[in-house]
Amino acid sequence: MFKSMFTALINLFKPVHTVNYPAEDIVLPKGYRGLIEYDKESCIFCDKCEKVCPPGAILFYQPLEGEKEYRYNPWLCIYCGECVRACPKPEEALWQSETKQHSAVKEDGANEGWFVYEEACKQSREDFKAAKQASKTQNKSEE
Amino acid sequence: MKKTIQIPLGSQHISLLEPIRFKFECENEKIIGVDADVGFVHRGVELACTRSFEFKQVGYVVARVCGLCAITHSLSYTLAAEKLLGYEANDRIKYLRMLMVELDRIHSHMLCLAHTAENAGFEALFMQIMADRELVMDLQEAISGNRVQFDFIAIGGVNRDLTPELTALIHKNLTLLSEKIDALIGLFNNNWSLSLKYKGVGVLRLEDAYTYNALGPLARAAGLATDVRVETSDFPYEDIGYTMILESTGDIHARNFVRLREIVNSIAMCRNIADNLPAGEILEKTKGKPKGEAVVRVEAPRGELFYLVRGNGGNMLERVRIKTPTFSGIPAMMEVFKSSEYADAPAILASFDPCMSCTAK
Repeated sequence: MFKSMFTALINLFKPVHTVNYPAEDIVLPKGYRGLIEYDKESCIFCDKCEKVCPPGAILFYQPLEGEKEYRYNPWLCIYCGECVRACPKPEEALWQSETKQHSAVKEDGANEGWFVYEEACKQSREDFKAAKQASKTQNKSEE
Repeated sequence: MKKTIQIPLGSQHISLLEPIRFKFECENEKIIGVDADVGFVHRGVELACTRSFEFKQVGYVVARVCGLCAITHSLSYTLAAEKLLGYEANDRIKYLRMLMVELDRIHSHMLCLAHTAENAGFEALFMQIMADRELVMDLQEAISGNRVQFDFIAIGGVNRDLTPELTALIHKNLTLLSEKIDALIGLFNNNWSLSLKYKGVGVLRLEDAYTYNALGPLARAAGLATDVRVETSDFPYEDIGYTMILESTGDIHARNFVRLREIVNSIAMCRNIADNLPAGEILEKTKGKPKGEAVVRVEAPRGELFYLVRGNGGNMLERVRIKTPTFSGIPAMMEVFKSSEYADAPAILASFDPCMSCTAK
């Protein structure tokens, strides 16, 4: 019993064992898997990253004219890095950084905004296909 | 007049972390009949694997079945898929996978020891073990780059390699940990008040373990020599110093001791792997689509984990069946409860290390 009381007394003067989290930032280990980052200039728009992504966090919007638009949902992403491994130009067009994403708030539209965008992307693909088909038939009729 | 009373434990109970319900038929304080109900957390993972995800993505889906044995789940699926693709991993990949599985086992066993202590009424011991467990969690985070969802194992290899700094970190943390484990072994062996709650409580006899098909640490504590690590030849466990840990009494104390000694064994194995890592590629290209049926057994921290994967040559799989150790161990668990006191039930339950999110998936 005296021993336990003695230990308790010593423990009173020991430093705190827990992490002082909100006041101090947690040090992330080197090589932490963070956000996926993208460079439009190097991208060749092969869509491999979109196809391989397990949760479907990368989408390409297909406008009728011009290049595809890249869109990424950091709150849906599981940071597995499959897209970077699938990319034909890794470290140039697509790479994994060590930055951590902040928690989503309502304004970010992590769910609702993304569902709308998913639908829009699907629709844009169909529109693009239909427009291509229409121009093909038009060309044929002109000939 | 009715002689017995029914007392439920769960589905929401102060001593439970996850929903499971036991209906105890009690005669005074003694439990004479048990009825178990799992399946409060059904998420439809098996169906999602065959409907929503392609076979290359399923490894990341099944890792979400369980937070504690995420590596074991993705490893089992990956092994099954690789069997279907006719691919054999090289030695470096095998060793890296074994390293992560053994680290998984260490932290899962420590969590179980902590909860057994908590449910037996030793809150301070719970906090101490959980604090020590952070050493392993930090290690896994440094190796895989994320804290709980490791996403380390992919079809054709592993996603990240071991650097010299990581090897040094493994040795540093494991040395610290093995000192703490030695202290814990002394504590569990000699402390009088721990022995009151653990020794002779929740006994599973060897015959019962055999009859009711106990597995994992539950069976090994009763003296039943069963371990998938020896029974299968997917991994070269003999080369890295595996020894089968057996106890004979079958009570909570024996289960704790099987876990503690397995941690010591796993630490030695992890050190061996870090020192003697063979050279080779860590991620190789695989070709083809899964066709046929494959069955894989892997020793999870709680016992045998069983995966059946069936593919028809397409991108989508036809069937993924997951049989988890807790589910297979329920008959043996129910047997242990009989003829023990109701007040001991939470501690006994925690000593099985039940994982409901695995079981109901």
